Amino acid sequence: MRILFSLIFLWVTTTAWAQIPTWKIVPDQSNIIFTATQNNAPISGKFNTFAGEIHFDANQLNESKAHIMVDISSINTSYQAIADTLKTADWFDVKNFPKAEFKTNKIAKLNSNKYQVDGSLTILNKSKPQSLSFELVENTKDKVKIQGNFSIKRTDFGIGKGEWSGTDEVADEVKVNFTFVLIPVALALS
Amino acid sequence: MQIKNSTSHYGIISIFIHWIMALLMIGLIILGLYMVNLPINAQKLKLYGWHKELGILVIFLAIFRLFWRIIDTAPTLPAHMPWFQKFAAHAVHYAFYGFMFALPISGWMISSAAGLPVSFFGLFVLPDLVSTNEPLRLLLQEVHEWLGYGLILAIVGHMGAALYHHFVYKDDILRRILP
Repeated sequence: MRILFSLIFLWVTTTAWAQIPTWKIVPDQSNIIFTATQNNAPISGKFNTFAGEIHFDANQLNESKAHIMVDISSINTSYQAIADTLKTADWFDVKNFPKAEFKTNKIAKLNSNKYQVDGSLTILNKSKPQSLSFELVENTKDKVKIQGNFSIKRTDFGIGKGEWSGTDEVADEVKVNFTFVLIPVALALS
Repeated sequence: MQIKNSTSHYGIISIFIHWIMALLMIGLIILGLYMVNLPINAQKLKLYGWHKELGILVIFLAIFRLFWRIIDTAPTLPAHMPWFQKFAAHAVHYAFYGFMFALPISGWMISSAAGLPVSFFGLFVLPDLVSTNEPLRLLLQEVHEWLGYGLILAIVGHMGAALYHHFVYKDDILRRILP
């Protein structure tokens, strides 16, 4: 009897877990854009290459989780000299720290289509707790689109060292806006 | 000391605007020539920030100056001046008005084309005049640079003529723009 119950329990939990759809990011419909402040004026750029392992179901937030990996060396700005500078040792030091990542710990629903995520952000191998919010713009079984944003203090991670650690010319706060279009992994593989 | 100009002397408004803008524009030339040769570092960013803010200040002052020039009288040029000297004087002064708008506006366009908007002393951010465009940025840089050289020439000619009037003709030309 106990064996039967254990087997039923195992079957129920594995199927329940397996029911959380796994998603993959569609790169050309997604973006990660950062906006910093230079001399009191905004300057934006983006990270062109990123990927994610995402398990998401709006009705099963407790089982939902995401792991986003960003290729920092894919950083791009319209004025090339800035992107080049951001890759150097005083900034993102891409030679030594080519990746940044975000891992969710908890996803909660705020209201109709807004969600709050508590997670951990790792840049330059420094991990810090990071909260963000996103809006579920589209949510079908074949496509999910989310738009969200968060802010970081670049000095928390050591982004901008030495002469750049002062925040007069380049402010501490950097805003990140992201749009992810997700398709189910099974569809992605076909 | 009069506020407005007379036919023989400049008033305090014109005098103040003249010298404050002379100081600003000469300072901007020196700053500009120095900052473009720096490697990318925090000092370069800081100096570019100053150059941009002060450049926009020039536009605001130039707008006021133009307005003042239109509503106020201008002192008449001395009778002893031949027509071609009067023409040259007017031409250089017109050129100055051209430079005091064309230089900041072309600079503003460079910032726009680079995706590095201009803030006016942290009070507000100016709208971008053009969208980010690398070939346009390079072209505008050339334009801004050569306008700068033109301004240097105009300043040298202007100062040379003023000193010539003062020391050779011994007329009132320089005295009347001094308080």
